[in-house]
Amino acid sequence: MISSSPSSSDAVIQLRGVVKTFGSKVAVNNLDLTIPAQSTYGFIGPNGAGKTTTIRMIMSIIFPDSGDVRVLGKNSAVESKDRIGYLPEERGLYKKMKVGAFLHYMGRLKGLDGAGLDSRVRNWLDRVYLGETYKKRCEELSKGMQQKVQFIAAVIHEPDLIILDEPFSGLDPVNRRLLRGLIDDQRTQGRTLIFSTHAMFEAEQLCTHLFMIHQGKKVIDLPLAEVFRQHDPNALMLETINPSDAQSTAWESCEGVETADVVGGTVQITLNSSSTPQEVMPRLFAMAPIRKLEIKRPNLEDIFVKFVGGDMAALNEEKEEFMDAKTRQLAPVDSSSSNIQTYAGGGR
Amino acid sequence: MIKIFHVAVREFLATVATKTFVISMVLPILLTLLAAKVLPMLMDEAAPKVTGHIAIVDHSGDVADRVVAAMAKATAEERTKDPVAMATDLVEKSGVSALQPEPQRLTLQVLSPDTNVDEAKAQILKSQQEMSKGGNADARLALAIIPRSSVEGTAKGGFDDFELFTAPQLDVEVQRGIERQIGAAIVDARINLKGMDPDEIRALTDRPRGNVKAVTAEGDKLLNDAAKMLIPAAFMFLLWISTFTCGQYLLTSTIEEKSSRVMEVILSAVSPMQLLTGKVLGQMAVGFVILIVYCGMGVAGLFIASMMSLLPFSNIIYLFVYFFIAFFLIASLMAAVGSAVSDIKEAQSLLGPIMVILMIPMILWLPILRNPNSSFAQVCSFMPFISPFVMILRLSGSEAVPAWQIPASIVFGLITILISLWAAAKIFRIGVLMYGKPPNFKTLIRWIRMA
Repeated sequence: MISSSPSSSDAVIQLRGVVKTFGSKVAVNNLDLTIPAQSTYGFIGPNGAGKTTTIRMIMSIIFPDSGDVRVLGKNSAVESKDRIGYLPEERGLYKKMKVGAFLHYMGRLKGLDGAGLDSRVRNWLDRVYLGETYKKRCEELSKGMQQKVQFIAAVIHEPDLIILDEPFSGLDPVNRRLLRGLIDDQRTQGRTLIFSTHAMFEAEQLCTHLFMIHQGKKVIDLPLAEVFRQHDPNALMLETINPSDAQSTAWESCEGVETADVVGGTVQITLNSSSTPQEVMPRLFAMAPIRKLEIKRPNLEDIFVKFVGGDMAALNEEKEEFMDAKTRQLAPVDSSSSNIQTYAGGGR
Repeated sequence: MIKIFHVAVREFLATVATKTFVISMVLPILLTLLAAKVLPMLMDEAAPKVTGHIAIVDHSGDVADRVVAAMAKATAEERTKDPVAMATDLVEKSGVSALQPEPQRLTLQVLSPDTNVDEAKAQILKSQQEMSKGGNADARLALAIIPRSSVEGTAKGGFDDFELFTAPQLDVEVQRGIERQIGAAIVDARINLKGMDPDEIRALTDRPRGNVKAVTAEGDKLLNDAAKMLIPAAFMFLLWISTFTCGQYLLTSTIEEKSSRVMEVILSAVSPMQLLTGKVLGQMAVGFVILIVYCGMGVAGLFIASMMSLLPFSNIIYLFVYFFIAFFLIASLMAAVGSAVSDIKEAQSLLGPIMVILMIPMILWLPILRNPNSSFAQVCSFMPFISPFVMILRLSGSEAVPAWQIPASIVFGLITILISLWAAAKIFRIGVLMYGKPPNFKTLIRWIRMA
């Protein structure tokens, strides 16, 4: 296991040896996690890995079987709920309530009082282009609009810590971009953010740190730059000016090259561990006329798949969990129940 | 605390400030007023109009004429009550012949004493067959055989009964009417036989009624038997309706929060206990609204009817005390069930067995009211869930409840409230985020143990 160990003095969240089981299933297994202030943590992992369970334990919505959870210096998030903004994975609105009234209600529940509340609600609605929905019933809103209202409900009280469980699911590209901007604003205002996601692009764009959980166990917990450094594929990609050169050139003969595969018009070159791209690139230029030569960047999707061990294995596991959840007497509270919804809803 | 208040206010407004609630409050009032007007008309036990004749074989010789006279008198009396018949009479009196003369509905056919009874009876069956084919205005509906011994007495002393053969489908009211009139005619004939005047005897034996008045501090008041019975029942029904209405609202609002998935959003701001408390208090306010509106209406009604003496003020106080107890019991039940299930159907299967217990006071209100200190009533007063309903019935019943039982039942109620709220809170905390397979009782008990 690879792990960073930031000093615990500025930690916003600290988990120590946290275990949570549902029936016979271990949802989270002996988890240690320290989230420093002002960081943006991306939680990734396959469905049912334990992301939502971890988040719910941080929020004191469910409690660990053993281990400690400290949030904002307190033993329970309940004591500092007004300083936390939370967008749950299972989220909805009061269907019959008006959008403005709902946001007022949520604001009041989070300790805001009447004076500035209304202008704050209206400002936020304007910011997400929903100003005209103030007097509409929540049920009249589209799913994407509802999600934006839920996001406002999570951040309206300007919390120090914002936890978003799959904030991007179900949003179209335009709203994704809008939400990305809003999250980025929160980050630049110095707030600590945690968000779980399957959207790797957003994770790469927004995270300062990456946390990956698989089968209840932590597999990555590092600053994003460090993740990329450690998972550098040490590979190059090239295209030749004359396409036939791609096939005919014996790239493997070049010193420092481990393998070379031609995929379509491009050549994927992996280097042996003792060589660097800077050493090998001039040699490649000498072998054939080259149109494009670049260092392959690590991407989260590859890292994700590497840890989960391929799509099929993950899907099999998901299927087993689904069957397991069906036969279990005690309905699972967390992530495995989201499996059921994933099946019912045709996937996230 | 302030969060609980906000939750309660939302819960109250979300329930009360809806068209459904306003309609559900106003509709019963309108229906009651309507029922007060219309029901007596519907309940009028007037016999249906039948046409045909009754044959009578009179062996005594004095009865048949008396029946004929009595029937003629009854028909005349009925015509004065029937506006259509009265109008026809008026028209006839004014000299213009009626366009549709009222058909003689039920007539009497006196048969000679030596008529063959079997043939006379066969006529009834024959009429039936003809009627089913359609038509026969003068069907034989019944045959009465009056033996001489029913008037003159038997050798052993006493009198024999008369026999009445009827068509099988003859209306019960019609049949009783015939029975009554013939019976009365026989009695008259007996009196006549003894040389006395039947009318005089009837007047002499008419039992007088008592003018019942209640002695109160404000002087003597007229009593109304129906009101005396209905007021305690009204108290119990009021308690039942108010607690169940808001209990139902609590159930549906909890299920809605779960099914619309707003639950966890709310739980990000308040703890499950704060949410539960707020919801229960909000619905309690709804219950008070229902109670005050209906109670106020009832008091106003009694005031208008100047029957306030029937309503001891202490009972209104007790109503609110027992409402408090009953509401918290029902509310904890509904909140627990609402949090555990995902839709109303699942809730019904969980609530079924409990509803059976809760129906006891609804079904057995009359015996409890008539005998408020029976051992059954006393046991029910200390049964969880139905205790407040039974107590409110007994308190307004005909006998004074032993004084110690009032505080005892209140303390008992408070203890059951604490236990049920504690269990409900445990179930609620786990249930609110449970989706999937609905839990059964065993699972609920496990939740109570594990939380």
